[in-house]
Amino acid sequence: MNEEIIQIKGLTKRYGYGDTESFALKDFDLTIRRGEFIMIMGPSGCGKTTLLNIIGLLDRATSGEYILNGEDVAGISARRKARLRAKKIGFIFQNFNLIQDLSVLENVALPLVYVNRPRTVRLKNASDTLRRFHLQEREYYLPSQLSGGQQQRVAIARAIVSDPEIILADEPTGNLDSRASISVMEELKSIHEEGNTIIMVTHNPALTVYATRVINMLDGQIATDIKTVSDQNLPQKIEVKRTRGKAKKTRNSRRKR
Amino acid sequence: MAMLFRTHLRLALTSIKENRTRSFLTCLGIAIGIASIILILSLTGSVSKLITDEISDIGADLIVVRPSTTKDSITTIVEELTASNSFQKSNLAISDVDEIKKLESVTAVAPIAITHSTLTDEENTIPSATILGTTVDFNTIEPQTFRYGGFINDKNHENSVVIGPSLSLHLYNTTNPVGRTLLFHGERFIVVGVMENNDASINFDNVDFDSALIMDIKVLEKLVGSLQVQQINVKVATTSDLEETSSKIRETLIEKKSGDTNFTVSYGDDISHPASALLNIISGMLSLVAGISLVVGGIGVMNIMLVSVAERAHEIGIRKAVGASSSNILMQFMFEALILSILGGILGIALGYILAIFASSITPFAPYISWQIIAITFLTALVVGVIFGIYPALKAASKNPIDSLKHYR
Repeated sequence: MNEEIIQIKGLTKRYGYGDTESFALKDFDLTIRRGEFIMIMGPSGCGKTTLLNIIGLLDRATSGEYILNGEDVAGISARRKARLRAKKIGFIFQNFNLIQDLSVLENVALPLVYVNRPRTVRLKNASDTLRRFHLQEREYYLPSQLSGGQQQRVAIARAIVSDPEIILADEPTGNLDSRASISVMEELKSIHEEGNTIIMVTHNPALTVYATRVINMLDGQIATDIKTVSDQNLPQKIEVKRTRGKAKKTRNSRRKR
Repeated sequence: MAMLFRTHLRLALTSIKENRTRSFLTCLGIAIGIASIILILSLTGSVSKLITDEISDIGADLIVVRPSTTKDSITTIVEELTASNSFQKSNLAISDVDEIKKLESVTAVAPIAITHSTLTDEENTIPSATILGTTVDFNTIEPQTFRYGGFINDKNHENSVVIGPSLSLHLYNTTNPVGRTLLFHGERFIVVGVMENNDASINFDNVDFDSALIMDIKVLEKLVGSLQVQQINVKVATTSDLEETSSKIRETLIEKKSGDTNFTVSYGDDISHPASALLNIISGMLSLVAGISLVVGGIGVMNIMLVSVAERAHEIGIRKAVGASSSNILMQFMFEALILSILGGILGIALGYILAIFASSITPFAPYISWQIIAITFLTALVVGVIFGIYPALKAASKNPIDSLKHYR
């Protein structure tokens, strides 16, 4: 059985004081195992994005416990948080959030800058990752020259280029048409099949077919939590650090058949 | 670390290249400040070089006695400049010259006393000519080259004068007035010599010889009345006597003036420093202007960096989300500011020397280039970059990634 990668206990996020006090998260508990593909649903303002930002170490909880990969990260320094974001977390956003002045290749290589990889290694890794998303011939395009679906696939490539522990996706299909949505979801699915942990916020109930676990949130708390795949059957992590190219090939050949 | 360094450098260069015009104008602000500093340092450097060269020409066996009045105070300098007669409150007297001459190992003593007065000959009148009173020894200490005639000597010094070439032209409309006379304070003097054009308006005597009249100091005192001795030049027999003789001069003068120590006795390189009050004022004013323009240039850097930070809020958010720490962001923007000011510095150094070369064509100051000047100005540019780059960089680094990501353009 896969180990628990995230343990959250009694997490509370409060905005404002006194009369204006409101809670985005209230006494929130959640345990996530490696290999899970979690979809978080719920009405606007129920705290989905806040939860994602706290898991992604972009935001700080008012109180509560957060253990990431065995390390208590609730009170660590901003510098350490940045290190963890660079190494362990990949972000995918609704509006893609690519840097418009940088080429597709440089955008994908961006996280590797902050884990101190040499430039040649960065560009090589980024190029390998882009190839898997069939965007290699677009390497030197600017993001604005790509379609929405392509931009989001570039963003996914950026999220996985440093081989993170968790991938956080905040409505990745929110700005896409249904065709592009499907291609993006297929990419996420294949990443998940390699044993990656994905936490995704969505408004689209049709997408829950991809998930192994669906969480419905309401007013900063969990309303329902349904696992569609048992913990034993979660995909095992494939060692992809050096063999990502090969893994892609076998997958492609499988598709062709 | 070295890797991040290179990455930030590349990033900064890219960002500067993308905003070419804006970056150039920002650099120009710094460059103007740096150029004026170069110009000032080159000017003052060349002036002190002129004097040092002159002293080494004359020889190392020179001692100079100067009154140390409150010349460093601004009001004295201004007073001196605005007064038609430069009344230095000198405490040196003509009698000091004889006192010094009595000392052993002293071979020649020449006082320098300046006054301004009217000169007339048959045709022309010079209203405020520079009159230099000295002794016959003057030519021994500072041998002058003569176009015509020679210096005043022990026989003719009571009624003879020597004049500079430009004074000669103004007064007689000729370059060779030897043997002609002029009227000064009702007395008639014979011109016995015209000096060669020496083009050294800056020298350790602080006199422009080209337009001066040189005559015997005692004759001058008789005619003018009170006279201020602004300097006494002393020549010693051998250079090894310099130290001993100068302390003897000091003792003798202190004794003679009953304890008054308001004078300096200097030799060697110490002679060259107080060149000209006017030059001090000019370079002081220029320094002030250069400093102000450098501050303005720095504000330009800060302004452009703030714009850059605001424009790239979204980018900062993205970078932070994918793992950039605040210090990474700080470095990125710091580098940009530094490169802008370094480029400005390099441009300014080039511009400054072009101006200095241009200035040298209309003044006697050759451009003085030394690695110290370049190092100082380069460091100044760097410091300006740090000072004015740190605030925008801190502002960028302290941005909250969640808010910055909402900054969707």
